[in-house]
This record gives sequence, structure tokens and C-alpha cells, in this order.
Amino acid sequence: MNDVLEARAIGMTFRNGDDFTEVLKNVDVTLQPGELAALLGASGSGKSTFLSIAGLLLRPTTGAITIAGQRVDQLSDAERAEFRNTRLGFIFQFHHLLPDFTATENVAFPAAAPAGGITPAMRKRARELLARVGLSDRLDFLVTRLSGGQKQRVAIARALMNKPELILADEPTGSLDRVAAEQVLDLMREVNREDKATFLICTHDEQVAARCTRRITLKDGRVEEAWEEHPVVT
Amino acid sequence: MFALTVARRYLFSNPAQTALLIAGVALGVTAFVFITALIEGLAIRLTDDVTANSAHISLEPETRVARVLPSPDAELASVAIVSTFQRRQIRSWEPAVALLRSQPSVAAISPQISGSAFLVKGEAVAPVAVTAIDPAYLDAISPISTEITSGNSSLGADGILIGVRLAENLGLSSGQPVLFRTDRGIDRLLTVRGVFRTGLQTLDEKVAYLSLQTARPLFLLPEGLTNIEVKLEDPGRARDVAAFLHEATGLRATPWQEKNASLEGALTAQARTGTLIQMFSLISVLVGIASALSLSANRRRGEIGIMRAFGVSSTFIAAVFVLQGLLIGMVGAGIGCVSGFALCSWLATLTNAEGIMLLPVAPSEGGYVAVFLLTTLGAVLASVIPARSAARLDPLEAIQQ
Ligand SMILES: Nc1ncnc2c1ncn2[C@@H]1O[C@H](COP(=O)(O)OP(=O)(O)OP(=O)(O)O)[C@@H](O)[C@H]1O
Ligand SMILES: [Mg+2]
Repeated sequence: MNDVLEARAIGMTFRNGDDFTEVLKNVDVTLQPGELAALLGASGSGKSTFLSIAGLLLRPTTGAITIAGQRVDQLSDAERAEFRNTRLGFIFQFHHLLPDFTATENVAFPAAAPAGGITPAMRKRARELLARVGLSDRLDFLVTRLSGGQKQRVAIARALMNKPELILADEPTGSLDRVAAEQVLDLMREVNREDKATFLICTHDEQVAARCTRRITLKDGRVEEAWEEHPVVT
Repeated sequence: MFALTVARRYLFSNPAQTALLIAGVALGVTAFVFITALIEGLAIRLTDDVTANSAHISLEPETRVARVLPSPDAELASVAIVSTFQRRQIRSWEPAVALLRSQPSVAAISPQISGSAFLVKGEAVAPVAVTAIDPAYLDAISPISTEITSGNSSLGADGILIGVRLAENLGLSSGQPVLFRTDRGIDRLLTVRGVFRTGLQTLDEKVAYLSLQTARPLFLLPEGLTNIEVKLEDPGRARDVAAFLHEATGLRATPWQEKNASLEGALTAQARTGTLIQMFSLISVLVGIASALSLSANRRRGEIGIMRAFGVSSTFIAAVFVLQGLLIGMVGAGIGCVSGFALCSWLATLTNAEGIMLLPVAPSEGGYVAVFLLTTLGAVLASVIPARSAARLDPLEAIQQ
């Protein structure tokens, strides 16, 4: 079986005028299907940068990325957008939901935009996903009427809409209180278990990392302990 | 189309702001409609003033011009000079009149003999421009019979109608005889049958009407005419019809515009002023749309960024903003057209004591289709700038802001 993510010798140097910032030097990360991996590291160690590169939002300076067997670093912008839409899911620290749309519409959006509208099948799936994240009583609420934790759960449902193979989450619990963070984390673990969806979660929260099946730590632009298996805490 | 759904949702998301934006567009369009209707109304009024009491096309014999005759020997050239042995006249005018009567564009015609003469009363002599017409068509070109202040308009044999100023100058009143001396040197005693007052000084002071019957011997034209005056259903078509009539009859056909070149100039200048104001009102509308959409695109950076992150195409994002522009433009232009029409219709009812419009607006001439299309198209173009900046947004930057 193919690796879901294979990042080889990723280097990333930001340039602002004459100022060069080398953030990633030589990062190798491989994720297998069904992994729930935590990406750890000090603030500024390049976690978000790596996540963006793996999520095809940023082109690395050097290195190669293969997702589900397909080389993706050579794709054009439009192809990358389509790839993100159909194969990847994103969850960010701030939900970034569309405030003028209901929960169901927000969830269905990634499928509806390329298709030209929300079909009944999309609506059905969106509602199922919302039910799964515990929001079956908020289906037609405008998302501005939801609490922070509820919004983040809508964002998770949205990330799952197109059945992605790889879900990238950047501090998904970073703006939530303990209880809401627990719920969100449990939800991701459940999706990971039941759907065999692969997760790469950026965090500096030890409690989050402790519940992942694997820890990847970035330090000085490199992966420090890439292959250390970590027992699942339940 | 889903982009349209999103565009609509965005517009309804802040109804007050959208309403204000649409009101701004509608106001600009109203101004456009008003200025268009006013310029057009002014043109119509000026044209009406000129065309109401004068012919729209004058048919006369072609002028014979002295011309150089071509010669095989370039050194020598012979010149054909204008013959003065023949009277300038329309000799066979019946076919021309028949042709004119068959034209649906022709409203009325008046076959005439025009000439000059003197009216002599005692020691007083006054020059007059004589218009001899068929009495049945006295009012064909300008209303005379309704302007009679004393006497009546029945010309009969040896009758003459004169203007009120001329009558005063010569101390004449209706029923009195006056000596009529033509430029052919023929004298005849005519009777003043009526005195008219048109309010136009040249007419009231310098023009006299005779019947063709009376005029023929006096101007030595037993059969011919000097000119045929034509009134059209639509004075605006005078040039075209004149060209046709010239082709068909061989007569010189002069449309009214050529006799009133200064009016033409004034109308052109007025139209240019109107175009300038129209342009400014459109530009202000478009700048308004562009800036409002730019603000909206900026406010929604985060959302746009996340849409781009989960792979919504930049074309879709651009379409959302262009469609917003289109909707604002169409709705604003529609409302502006309706309110512009309402405003002009109301202004058209305002008259002064004499029943003359205070502002000569022509509500039907607001340029509605043009302004609707221009505003809609312009709104789309104006939204291209914000649409492009939204579509080009780097998702990372937008999300991390
Ligand atoms: N566009 C950019 N231009 C220049 N430097 C950048 C840019 N983006 C990120 N960096 C730098 O790269 C480094 C890593 O940033 P990154 O956001 O990946 O860190 P992080 O590990 O996610 O940190 P945190 O835990 O605080 O979120 C930082 O020093 C940051 O200043
Ligand atoms: Mg980060």
C-alpha cells in the first residue's frame, strides 16, 4: 500500500528582500494510511510551514512531495487547488467558516463550489457529517450563532466533506477551552479510527500529542525523532 | 450557479450597506436619465420652435452655376455662363406635387410663388416678401387663419393678407385697398382681407399672402411655381427625405437644418455637454461599485483564503465578485431608470403661468436602454479589479493574518 504522505528532503527558505530565513533544512516525513500523527516543536520551529507545504498551500524551496502515490510538487496552481479540494482536508486554529451560510451549507461548500450547487446528495452527506460531530440540532443555524467549539466541529465536518485521504490540522484546539478541545480531539480520533483517515496535527499541546498514534518533532529545521512510536492513551 | 448563490448571500449579508450602494448607483443613473431627458427635451423644444412655423423642406429649381466646360486642349477652356434669359421656375410641378402627396412621410405641402413687391399707400412704401399660395392650403406650413386679428382669411380674387406691424406702418386695416407693385414692375390694387399677428416680427412686418390665382399675372408666371414647401411628419428625417426628393424630382431640396445652421451648432454643443455630464455620472457610479466591492473583498479575506485553501478555484472567487457587481449594477440601474422616469414625468408637469414647461424634459427620451446597459456593463468591469485581487489572494496569507 502507498504511503499517504511522503515528504522527502524538504527545505524551505523564506526570502524578504535580502533577508533569508531558513526554516526547514532537510525534513523527511512519511505517513501511512490511518496514522494520527502529531507534529510538535517549539514555536517558530516550522510546524505550520511544513503543514502548508504538505497541504500544497506553499511550494518548498527544495524537496519532493508525494501524496497517495502522486507526485504533487510539480502541479500547476489550478491542479494543486483541485487536488486540495478532492484529496485533502484542512482544519485551522480559527474555524474560518463562511458567516453568511448555515452549518449545512458550510460543510457542503467544498463539494458544491466545483459542482455548481448543493445537490440533495451533498446536503444529505453534510447533514450526516454534522450529526456525526454532534450538531444534528444545529443543521440550519447560521454559523455565527454557534459557539467556538461548535464552529470548530463544523470546520471538521467541512474538512471531511470530500472524503479526503489526508487531513491537515494546524492547532485545531488552540482557541478552545479544555472541554471543547477534548471533544474536538475525540472527534478526530473517532474519524481516524472509523474512516481510516490519516491526520497530521500541528500542536504544542502535550495532551493532544499524547492522544496521537505518532509524534514527529521539528527542531532546527529537521525532524528530531521521526519514527518513535507512541502508545495510544485512552 | 453556485457563485450566484454566494454573490447573493454576500449582498444580503449586510442589507443596509448593499441598499446604500444600490441607492448610490440608482442616484447616478437617475442623474443620467434626467440630463439625457433634459438635453433631448431642449433639442425637441428648440427644433419644434423652429420647425413649427416653417417648412421642413423647400423645393426650388436647381441653381444654374457658371462652370468650366472640359476641353481636349488643356490650354483652352470655355465657360458656360448662367443664362438669364429664362425665369427660374418649376415649370412642370404637377408630377412633383403628385409624388409629394404619395409620400407617407410628407404631412403637408404648399406649392408657392414667392417674390418681392412693394405696398404703396400714399407716400408710404413698404417692401414685402410675397408668398402666393393655394388658399385651401393657407395653413399648411404655418398657421395663419387662426392668427387673424381683424378681417378674415379668405383671400379670394385680388385679396391680400398682411401682418399687423405692416398694417400699422402703412395705416392699413382690413377692407382697405392698397397698391401692390411687384418686382416685375406691375401694379395692381388689392384689398386687405385680413391682418394677422403671429408674434414673429419678420412675418408680421415683412410678409404678405396672396392667392396663386392673383399672383400669376403679377409675377408673370402663368403656369410655373417658384418653390414647393413641404412639411414632414417627422422633421428629424428632413435630410433623408430631402435627398430622396432631390433624386426623384431633380429639384434642389433644402432641409430646414441647412437653413438654421446656428441651431444645429447649438444642439451639437448642448449634446456634447450632456455627454460629458452623462460620463461623469456613470464614472462616479462605477467608482462607487469598485470601491465598495474592494472593501468587501478585503473584509472577507479570511473566508476567501479558506475557500482557496480547500480548493475552490480562483475563477469561482472572481465570479462571486463580478456577479455582485452585475447584480448591483442591474438592480441600481433598474431602480435609477424608474426613478429617473418618475422624476422627469413630474418635472414635465411643472409649467409656468403661460403653460410652458419650466424644464423642457422629455421623459420618454431618458436613454433608458443605453444607461441600463452601460451601467450593467460598467458595473461588471468595475468589479473586475476587486474580483481579481480576491481571486489572487494567497490562501496562506489570508488564513494566517
Ligand atoms: N512568509 C514568511 N516569510 C518569512 N518568514 C516566515 C514566513 N512564514 C513563516 N516564517 C518564519 O518561519 C518560521 C516558522 O514559522 P511557522 O509558522 O512555521 O512556525 P510554527 O512552528 O508553526 O510556530 P507556532 O507554534 O508559533 O505556530 C518563523 O520563524 C517565521 O517567522
Ligand atoms: Mg504555527
